[in-house]
Amino acid sequence: MNETAVVARRLSVGYGSKVILSGVDAFLKPGGSTALVGSNGSGKSTLLKTLAGLLPVIDGGLEVLGRPVGELTAKVAYLSQFHQSGFVLPLQAIDVVRMARYDQRARWKRRTKIDDEIVKESMILMSVDDLAMKPLRDLSGGQQQRVYLAQVLARRADLLLLDEPTAGLDAPGRAAYIDALNFERSRGAAIVTATHDVGEASTCDRVLLLAGRVIADGPPNVVMTPENLLETFGIGLTKVGDQLVVTEHHHDH
Amino acid sequence: MGNFVRPFLDNEFLQRAFLAGVLVSLTCAVVGTYVVLRGMAFIGDALAHGVLPGVAGALMIGMPAMAGAAVGAAVMVGGVGLITARSKLSNDTAIGLLFIGLLALGVVMVSSADSLTGDLEAILFGQFLGVNTSDLVAQSIALGFVVVVAVVASRPFLLLCFDADLVSAMGYRAAWYHRLMLLLIAATVVVSFQTVGALLVFGMLLAPAGVGALISKRIGTMMLWAAVVGVVSTYVGLLASYHFSWAAGASVVLTAVSIFFVVFTGVSIKHSIVGDRS
Amino acid sequence: MRMIIIMQIMNHNKLRNLVIRPIVGALASVAVVACGGGESSSSDRPSVVVTYSILGAVVSDVVGDAADVVVLMPNGIDPHEWEPSAKDIELLNNADLIVSNGLDLEGNVMEAIEAAEKEGIAVFHATDHIEVIEFGASGHDHAEEETHAEDEVVTAESVVDSESDGEHKDEHGDGDPHFWTSPVEMAAVVEALGVALADIGIDTGDRAAMINESLLNTDQEIRDLVADIPAESRILVTGHESLGYFANEYEFEVVGAVIPSLSSEAEASAGDLATLKETIADEGVSVIFTEMGTSPDVVEALAAEAKVSVVELSTHFLPEDGTYKTFILQLASMISVALQP
Repeated sequence: MNETAVVARRLSVGYGSKVILSGVDAFLKPGGSTALVGSNGSGKSTLLKTLAGLLPVIDGGLEVLGRPVGELTAKVAYLSQFHQSGFVLPLQAIDVVRMARYDQRARWKRRTKIDDEIVKESMILMSVDDLAMKPLRDLSGGQQQRVYLAQVLARRADLLLLDEPTAGLDAPGRAAYIDALNFERSRGAAIVTATHDVGEASTCDRVLLLAGRVIADGPPNVVMTPENLLETFGIGLTKVGDQLVVTEHHHDH
Repeated sequence: MGNFVRPFLDNEFLQRAFLAGVLVSLTCAVVGTYVVLRGMAFIGDALAHGVLPGVAGALMIGMPAMAGAAVGAAVMVGGVGLITARSKLSNDTAIGLLFIGLLALGVVMVSSADSLTGDLEAILFGQFLGVNTSDLVAQSIALGFVVVVAVVASRPFLLLCFDADLVSAMGYRAAWYHRLMLLLIAATVVVSFQTVGALLVFGMLLAPAGVGALISKRIGTMMLWAAVVGVVSTYVGLLASYHFSWAAGASVVLTAVSIFFVVFTGVSIKHSIVGDRS
Repeated sequence: MRMIIIMQIMNHNKLRNLVIRPIVGALASVAVVACGGGESSSSDRPSVVVTYSILGAVVSDVVGDAADVVVLMPNGIDPHEWEPSAKDIELLNNADLIVSNGLDLEGNVMEAIEAAEKEGIAVFHATDHIEVIEFGASGHDHAEEETHAEDEVVTAESVVDSESDGEHKDEHGDGDPHFWTSPVEMAAVVEALGVALADIGIDTGDRAAMINESLLNTDQEIRDLVADIPAESRILVTGHESLGYFANEYEFEVVGAVIPSLSSEAEASAGDLATLKETIADEGVSVIFTEMGTSPDVVEALAAEAKVSVVELSTHFLPEDGTYKTFILQLASMISVALQP
């Protein structure tokens, strides 16, 4: 395991030559969890994709697991925000989770017992073990999301990059998700989550508020002030007890 | 029993036609599965039509039609690759224009060459009944190639169908495998058009795989069902051509499409009775 | 997907008649009106426009220097499939006389010719002046006076392009258009053509009569050529039904065709091929005469299986010297040589 999971220096990310998010400095350690918080278009998905090696760096420096980005893909698990194919593809849930193991051994080698065990464990963790043989398209949205999360777990990665991982999850699903995250962190994996859910972000070690640039960076209770949230989302939110209450509207976004 | 088997036993040209149809069906089952799953029907169609100027050109200079088709397919694949890589124009538009342009070029070439008018029909609709040994050999080789590639690349292909981002995220070169898929489609079209015709090979790619998609739970079974539907369509279509004097290629494709719509209706009815889970 | 539908319309006879022809005809009518009827041609001589090459050669001989003869279809094109370009339609509209085959041989240009006729241009249909053979089941051809016999159509057992039945009924019944395989019928056409030319002021002197006589001599030559062929060998299997008049004239029988249709446009079906294979066996056929418009692969496959040889005839286009006489003599001698014992 590396000493650092992600090192970013004055990083700018975007599509082609168009910069979406600039000036990111980050130093993420193994076992830590980081939330990227912002509204749509803030650059959080773009940053995640760049970390996964799907988009080239536009400017600045980026190292993932101690190497240039994109080199150690076998140790990185990426969960995308949108899943296109659920309804046509003839796949069983277990097939989806098994995909995680494809690049974990030589290309032409068959599944091993270890692969099978990992797959089974991951599915149990996400409470989808009983759905293993069901076609993906027959599952509900929440169940499908749990299967995708099981796939992430099955990679036994050192770095998890998750884009809106709790989308569509019900309460038991969320509980399973939190257990899974803890399991991964105990393994020493670093987790980066992109979310617009402020409540979810506040459970992480560290939060980056994004809106084309880094508004704030640090522990959640320090960073998520009403002023910062106003700047990030254009609306003011305050935590009242357990709830988040809208206090102000900004219309300059 | 006699009416269903004897025509094939009595006529060698029907035996060869059936064999050709089986080879085409098997090839289209594998490749068509990916075409359907990736929603590449449009590109598949474009490839099938885009080979026309290549074939026309080859015939005009006296080269074998398949060589011309291969060149035409290469141009199409290259063009599609270029377009999807860089253009801001919607891919659909650009690809559509490319293949219509090539198709029109092909028609102009054929109409300006004195000796080719009848051949246009043969190119578009195929000559199921004129299959000779070298055609069968070419088709077998293509089938072998397609199967080998599909087996070797099965995981990246599956990833490509499931989530294109995941392909790159797991370290496979997505563009490379995408182009490989296009190559498979091109190869299928190049060897099959002489049998089923450039217009109809597209039907053999979609309809049997479409049936497979409707009733299968796994990709492997999908390909299997696609193969079964293809072979059955070949048999029924050739039989119909024999008993009712229908055009052979069209009968085969018509059968495949009919099977698709019957299954489609059946599955829809079943879902509305049993109740859909989404 | 639309492209598929368009291409299938273009290649499907019935739909072509319902869709393409009216469109072409409409365009042609517009072209006639737009070009104006009174536009004079660039040379002083009147212009005679002929649809296809074989007929064109004969018309040129008859006309000589008295007029400009333009042939629309390049030699070697299949007249059943050819479609006119805008230039061709313009030539038709500026003609003093249009000469066509008739009986739907040049199906794709009929609309334009009819439009020109409505504008007052003289049109001569060759098949109006022959004894038309109704297309019947193999061996049952019977010649009739030129007729619009919609009721008396006898169709072959398995016509693939069955749409042509319906639309032929509207025109001249299922008449066989391939009259040029008989020099005797061609002679009749030449005679009538001489009259038609005179009617519009083109004087051909005694050329028509001379050519008429030459054709009748050629007819005699052919009779001599085929005299030695024994009766049981006087059977023909062709690409499509194109040798009816030849057979009728010289006592042959057409027992089958790869595409049992008057047009080469249809596609061979397994049923037809199997029937033909049986016929070949039953009748003791030894040669398949293939021609333009027939798929060579299909013929090869059939011939190999039926163990017969294949001879390619040029039935729809002229030989190198471009004369009708050479054409018909070559045709007759190839048939004769193939069938000699």
